[in-house]
Amino acid sequence: MKVTLKWLKDFIDIDLSPEELAEKLTNSGNEVEEIIYQDRYLKNVVVGKILEIEKHPNADKLVVCKVDIGEITQIVTAATNIKVGDKVPVSLPGANLANGIHIEKSKLRGVESIGMFCSIEELGVTDYDGEANGIMILDDDAVVGEPIAKALLMDDVIFDINVTANRPDCMSIIGIAREISALTKKPLKKQDLYYEPCNDDDIANYIDVIVENEELCPRYMACAVKDIKIEKSPKWLRARLVSVGIKPINNIVDITNYVLVEYGQPMHVFDYKYLEGKKIIVRPARNGEHILALNHNEYNLDDSNLCVCDAVKPVVIAGIIGGMNSCVESTTTTTIFESACFDRASIRRTSRKIGVRTDSTARFEKGVDCSLQPLGMERALNLIYQLKAGKIVKGKIDTIKEQPKDKTLTFSLSKIYKLLGIEIPKNDVIDILNNLGIKSSIQNDELTCIVPYFRQDIERYSDIAEEIIRIYGYSVYDKIDAKPLSGTSVTIGKHDKVLYLARSLKKQLCSYGFYECVNFSICSIDDRDKLLINPNDKLYNMIKIANPISEDIGYLRTTMANSMFNTVAYNLSRKNSDFRLFEVGRVYLPNELPLKQLPEEINILSFCSVYKNDDFFVFKGIIENLLRDFDLPYYLEYSTKSYLHSGMSADIIDRRTNTCIGSFGKVHPKVIENFDLAQNTYYGELNLDILTNCPEKKHSIQTISKFPYVDRDLAIVCDESVTISEILQCVKKSCGKFYHSAKVFDIYRGAELNNKKSVAFSIKLESKDKTLTDEEINQIINKILKDLEFKLKAVLR
Amino acid sequence: MVEQINQMRAEANGKIDACTNLKSLNDIRVEYLGKQGKLTNLLHSMKDINKEDRPKVGQLINLAREEIENKLKNLQIKLNEKVLEEKMSKEKIDITEPSKIIEKGEIHPLHKVFDKLIDACVAMGFTVITGPEVEYDYYNFEALNVPKDHPARDMQDTFFITDNILLRSQTSSVQVRAMQSMKPPFKIVSPGRTYRADSDATHSPVFHQFEGLVVDENVSMIDLKSMLTELLKMLFGENTQIRFRPSYFPFTEPSVEVDATCPSCAGKGCRLCKNTGYMELLGAGMVNPKVLEMSGIDSNKYSGFAFGPGVDRLAMVVNKIPDLRMMFENDIKFLEQMK
Repeated sequence: MKVTLKWLKDFIDIDLSPEELAEKLTNSGNEVEEIIYQDRYLKNVVVGKILEIEKHPNADKLVVCKVDIGEITQIVTAATNIKVGDKVPVSLPGANLANGIHIEKSKLRGVESIGMFCSIEELGVTDYDGEANGIMILDDDAVVGEPIAKALLMDDVIFDINVTANRPDCMSIIGIAREISALTKKPLKKQDLYYEPCNDDDIANYIDVIVENEELCPRYMACAVKDIKIEKSPKWLRARLVSVGIKPINNIVDITNYVLVEYGQPMHVFDYKYLEGKKIIVRPARNGEHILALNHNEYNLDDSNLCVCDAVKPVVIAGIIGGMNSCVESTTTTTIFESACFDRASIRRTSRKIGVRTDSTARFEKGVDCSLQPLGMERALNLIYQLKAGKIVKGKIDTIKEQPKDKTLTFSLSKIYKLLGIEIPKNDVIDILNNLGIKSSIQNDELTCIVPYFRQDIERYSDIAEEIIRIYGYSVYDKIDAKPLSGTSVTIGKHDKVLYLARSLKKQLCSYGFYECVNFSICSIDDRDKLLINPNDKLYNMIKIANPISEDIGYLRTTMANSMFNTVAYNLSRKNSDFRLFEVGRVYLPNELPLKQLPEEINILSFCSVYKNDDFFVFKGIIENLLRDFDLPYYLEYSTKSYLHSGMSADIIDRRTNTCIGSFGKVHPKVIENFDLAQNTYYGELNLDILTNCPEKKHSIQTISKFPYVDRDLAIVCDESVTISEILQCVKKSCGKFYHSAKVFDIYRGAELNNKKSVAFSIKLESKDKTLTDEEINQIINKILKDLEFKLKAVLR
Repeated sequence: MVEQINQMRAEANGKIDACTNLKSLNDIRVEYLGKQGKLTNLLHSMKDINKEDRPKVGQLINLAREEIENKLKNLQIKLNEKVLEEKMSKEKIDITEPSKIIEKGEIHPLHKVFDKLIDACVAMGFTVITGPEVEYDYYNFEALNVPKDHPARDMQDTFFITDNILLRSQTSSVQVRAMQSMKPPFKIVSPGRTYRADSDATHSPVFHQFEGLVVDENVSMIDLKSMLTELLKMLFGENTQIRFRPSYFPFTEPSVEVDATCPSCAGKGCRLCKNTGYMELLGAGMVNPKVLEMSGIDSNKYSGFAFGPGVDRLAMVVNKIPDLRMMFENDIKFLEQMK
């Protein structure tokens, strides 16, 4: 919200520099986002009067002007909209104009020119009238030689303030002035809101106001002004509105906007002749009603939209925008002024629904309190009187039944001190609160505050504590150095199990060369098809965001795979190769769509490699190592995941529950194509929630045999269909009690083997109570070979 | 005879001193100490000497023999060492050749900061808890003193799933869940992912927060300040100072923005802190008694403080990451820089 230094000075004496004032406001919670000097482009620009215009001796399109700027000087220009006697802005050497031009004395085609005449754009002035064309022609009352900033009333300083949502009362000049009063300990100036009504007429002759729902409209005030002459507002009023970014329209509309900025009370004004039935009815719109608004858009209304209506039709969407059907125009002679209070939630809903935000909604949706309407009305009528814009009809309509009262609250001062951790001197407490308009007194430990009605945000001791400390200054804490948390009870810290487990697995993956990535958990629904997920799959049901900022991130992921594949593809497209990535994140599985209850959120570790030497068995090894710490018997099955290669991937199945705790393997060739992955892309995922609930593996250490074990290597040839697992199980069984271990160290496939494979493995045999003899060993080996041949048709190579 | 011995000694010593390799060492040994060696032969010729001279000469020969043997032994050790040295010097490798073990990957900068924060808070007695990202409006807003159609809802653009279910816009939702399930006194932190319908150079629709909440008797703003000072010192160094500026959050009262001295210039003012010497890092405040009450905590007995830094921003400051978007693009060239 914008306020100006001059406007503030109508309410309070300020002897701080703009920068000092801004700092004080920021440090008390009203953050000044920008200080704008209105004359920033107007330095060294003055009012000049054109005395003579002559042809340029050397150029057809240029003229040479004699100009009075307090002294007579010469300007060469190409402008065509000027004539002798015009007053124009003259930029002199040293001027830096809004369009970046720096002015210096120069010669144009051999003729000296002291400076330049300026257009409205060059001065950075907003052209609200739309009349600008060429050089700006000033009003005749402009004083020759005077700085242009003064002539245009553009010598103010504007503060753009970020008012927080709890302080609707600060959405006005008076509100900010009140804050400055507390900050500088200076009183607010008394305002004179005098006007003279004409006593020969009465508001009762004009209009009757009916409010159907007082909750939605707690207060509605109306006054009538007759014999109006619609005209341009005086220069000072227009300049004020322009300085805060509001377009001047005519005297009557400008008055309503002036009051809005100054007091924060949005006003509306009707042309009386268009109000049918001499009635104003505040009611919800009827379904099917519509209104052509002042922004020239037609809005269809329903019973959720509060409207101000006459006896027949809606004339305003309450608190948001007026209708063309009753607006003030050049022929208006009699008007009704509205100063009302509307429910903020209702205004907010309607404003969102129809997509219209105005200066009025900006105030109403933050909360205009119902003590403000009389003040707004008084000020509007006072301005009518000052501007002699019309005759004020005696009497006001006011629908409020009981005047809002300030509330008196008492607090324990020691409780406030306890919350702040420091004691602020009592006289400072009183000064701060009084200057904020909160009349306060202290007796012993009791702080009594009369909280003005406009401070709806103050209810509890913590609210008062904040008022005190923000004005007193938080810098008081800068020097305080205390032991951390010394005022709190001793508590034992505890990690979150899932995060802690994830951290350990992540570190292991790092040591295998994987880098962690962080992907968005929201994605495009197209990913579902790219992953070949079919409608019967649980992963098919993605939760849709109702108001996405883009369709690319309009759904919640049901698997980590698409996030990972997109990131891998991005890296490949950036010419990165041979890398490994992992991510810990969540997937979101709804129980039903549309969502009625919260979805299941599952923590997953996913990892992926496009490293040239990685394959299924590298991933298998990683999985084995990652799972080794858990008491988790599992087996592998060919994976059913749609995005994995059906013959080169596995699901990891918990033997006890038969549930899948993860999957890994080569990515499905079609998926590789769909995401533009590398041919050797391998992917794996583990369900961290299941793993978190797995107990840690318990160990029971066996005694080590005193007798050395015996190593024997064997190579057998068997069909491809015989699995390594079958071979090793067979070997184990054959060894009986002498079995220590068996490990495959080579698998060979060659043409000479006729589509069979050769498997070489080493066996360790051991006895706990003796050294095995050669004879015993040979017996075991023979049994192994016999069993392999009998069960698996495998023969010694 | 004596003369002969001394001459032989001198001769042998000279040869030993001149000897530079194991082969000539062996030759010398054979020449003097071998079965037919010169000294051995002398010993054999003892029988030709007078009986009374024999002990003296014998002693002399033995001394000479001992001396030569010792000298040869020492020389042999030396020569063996020399041979080994030569062998090793031939085996010398280029130690700047690349290592052969798999090069380690790295944790993402975001999670490095998360882990640091978590560890520091656990050490200070906090329990780490997490909550759902798809959340009821009630936990994200209403129970935090932001009823439907409240102006404070404009402070954040929220992604909605239904009228009642949304993507949490703040980890503060976990505060509510904690307050409703735990009995004070307690200290909790909740790291996690949050969402807002906002996407530009400094805002990501998916981002991360680290919510902290302490509820106890006698908690004051001094506790908040000292705790945050400790936490930010851990991230940015011992000399870090913090300051409060007033702010507004519906669930805290008083509410503050917390600035820390710029870690880049130590508060002197630089490009990163826009010459203010400070960096705006997080919002915090004393838990609004209204919020305590809504979660069934006696606000007469208990007070609390809460804080919630954006962790993405912290990670950017700690690692001097120039652009927020780099954090989520996951270009390997970015991730590798965490080595």
